[in-house]
This record gives sequence, structure tokens and C-alpha cells, in this order.
Amino acid sequence: MRDDPTVVDLVTRARDGDKGAWDELVERYAPLVYSVCRRCRLAQPDIDDVGQSVWLRLVEHLPGLREPAALPGWIATTTQRECFRLIRASSRVEPVDFVQAPDVPEQAIAEEEVLRHERKTVLRTAFAELSRRCQVLLALLMQDPPAPYDEISRRLQVPVGSIGPNRARCLTRLRQTPALARLAADGPDDRTRG
Amino acid sequence: MDPDWHDDEKLIEALRDALASADEVPSAFVEAGKAAFAWRTIDAELAALTYDSAQDPIDALAIRSESAILRSLTFASDGWTVELELTPTAVLGQLDPPEVGTVTARGDGGKLAEAEIDELGFFVLGPPPNIPYRLVCTTQSGTTILTGWVTP
Repeated sequence: MRDDPTVVDLVTRARDGDKGAWDELVERYAPLVYSVCRRCRLAQPDIDDVGQSVWLRLVEHLPGLREPAALPGWIATTTQRECFRLIRASSRVEPVDFVQAPDVPEQAIAEEEVLRHERKTVLRTAFAELSRRCQVLLALLMQDPPAPYDEISRRLQVPVGSIGPNRARCLTRLRQTPALARLAADGPDDRTRG
Repeated sequence: MDPDWHDDEKLIEALRDALASADEVPSAFVEAGKAAFAWRTIDAELAALTYDSAQDPIDALAIRSESAILRSLTFASDGWTVELELTPTAVLGQLDPPEVGTVTARGDGGKLAEAEIDELGFFVLGPPPNIPYRLVCTTQSGTTILTGWVTP
């Protein structure tokens, strides 16, 4: 995932002035920036401020970004620094536990957030690769509370008795999608790689 | 792949979480990020917000009772400070260390207002833009300083 050729390509194109590539980078990493801000418990206007700083720094940073694969880590660390700066400047937000924890290196927190983001991205990509039928079935089952089986049966026009087996099949397909299969191929040690 | 994902329940849970967290990001946040690309060609030192009277309840009161100043802001980079006072008719500013130059207020759409910076670092920019803007200070010696956003 770190060596995702798409990211390398997007960075190269954005650096050359391709606005479309930049838009894709923003769409891809906005949830990462957002979730780091949320972990710092910032309110919406502050999240917007931090977002602006991060994107501007990224725009500046693009030409000097030697290793595009390191981008997610750079984004998470920069976002976190901007959050801290804002908290210090305003002192409006009570520092949260992990902000104060001096024994947790900054890098480790950012790294954790990056991994979380990557896992979610992989799952969303995998979900998008499923058939429409599987997507609808899983979406109904993921509702809180899950949709009752008779409703699912009606909407998908399948007997109630086959919903369970269908669910299992869809999840198996999810695991077999290229997105998830790639993760499996990388092996569990993939995450500790720098 | 996460070993947990071999379990159907845990996989569904992780998927629900993944789909929900994409939904929680407001589209305005994403759009603002896309718009940042317009600033690509400005090679400037970024001065970040370090003080905003609107966020300081005591100062906000003092300012309101005292004068025509609606709000005061400070932006700082490593070597430069830009102090701003927003009044109904103008943006009063001072660049520190002082240096002659020009200052431009820019929104995502381009230039909104422009003024000279005098030898004491003072400038008067007016009328104040009524949409969010940032200031670009260009000094005689060739430094460009870009402040964070000011939202009127």
C-alpha cells in the first residue's frame, strides 16, 4: 500500500501542475487529515484552519517530495503539528491525553493514524469492487440496527434462508478482491516496514 | 490482511467503520483542500495565526468597548510577524521587521485589494474584503510572506 503506484503517479502529475491529480490526492487523504484533527478534538472551524495549512504546505512541499510513497506519513505528521500549534496558540482546547504523553513519540502516533487510514482505504476500495448486489446486501446488514431479514429478502428478492449464505459469500469475495488480496500478499510484516 | 478480517463479524465491523469515516468528512473540507492548489505558484514564507482577539474573551470585550477596531490578529513565520487590526473601513497592518514593499489581499479567486507597505512596515488596506482572504506581503528585498486565512 505504501508503494502504491497510484500515489507516486498522482504526486508526479500534481507536481507538474495537473489539477485533477491534486484533487484526487486531496480526496484520498482528506479523511486522514480529518481523523488526525478529530483525535486532537478540534472543533470544525479549527479543523478547517488546520486543513488549509496542511494542504498549503503540501502544495509547497510537492516539488521537494523525494519519496512520494512517504506522503501519508508526511501528511499525518504535518497535520498533527498544525493541531498542536493551534492548541498552543489558542489554549482553548484542553490538551488530550495523547498530546501530553511525552513517552509516545510523535512519529508513532502519526504512523498509527496512517495505518488506520490505509486499512480503511483498502476496505472502501474492496467494497467498491464488489457486485452491486453484494454492496446492497452488506449495506443493509451494516445498518444500525441491521435491516431485518424479511426486509432484505423483499429488497433483494431472495429467500430469507439464503441471506446468511449470501452474506458469507459476499464477505469471501470481499477478502478476494484485488485490494485485499494485495494486502494478504504483502504479508503481516508489511506494517512494520518504514 | 488483518487476521481479524477472517472473522465475518469483525470484517463487517471494520467495513462499517471504514465506510462511515469517509462519510464524516464534510465536502466543504475536501473542496477547500482542492482549492489550495491555486496557491501553488506563490513561493512564499507561510505566516501562521498565533493570536486572534476573537478567540480571547477578555480582549474581545476590551476591543469592543474601546474603539473602531473589530478584531486584531497576529501571524508569524520564523523571521516575520504581521500584525493586523480589522476596522470597518480598512485593514491596518504592520510588518515586523519593517521593510518597504507591497501587500495584496487574495482570495481563492485572485486579487481583492492592494496597498504599499511604508518604511515603518505599516500598511492600510481598504476597503476590507468581505470574503475570506490571505495577505501576500512582498518586500523590497524579495521576500514573500503569506499569512493564513482571515475570515471577515
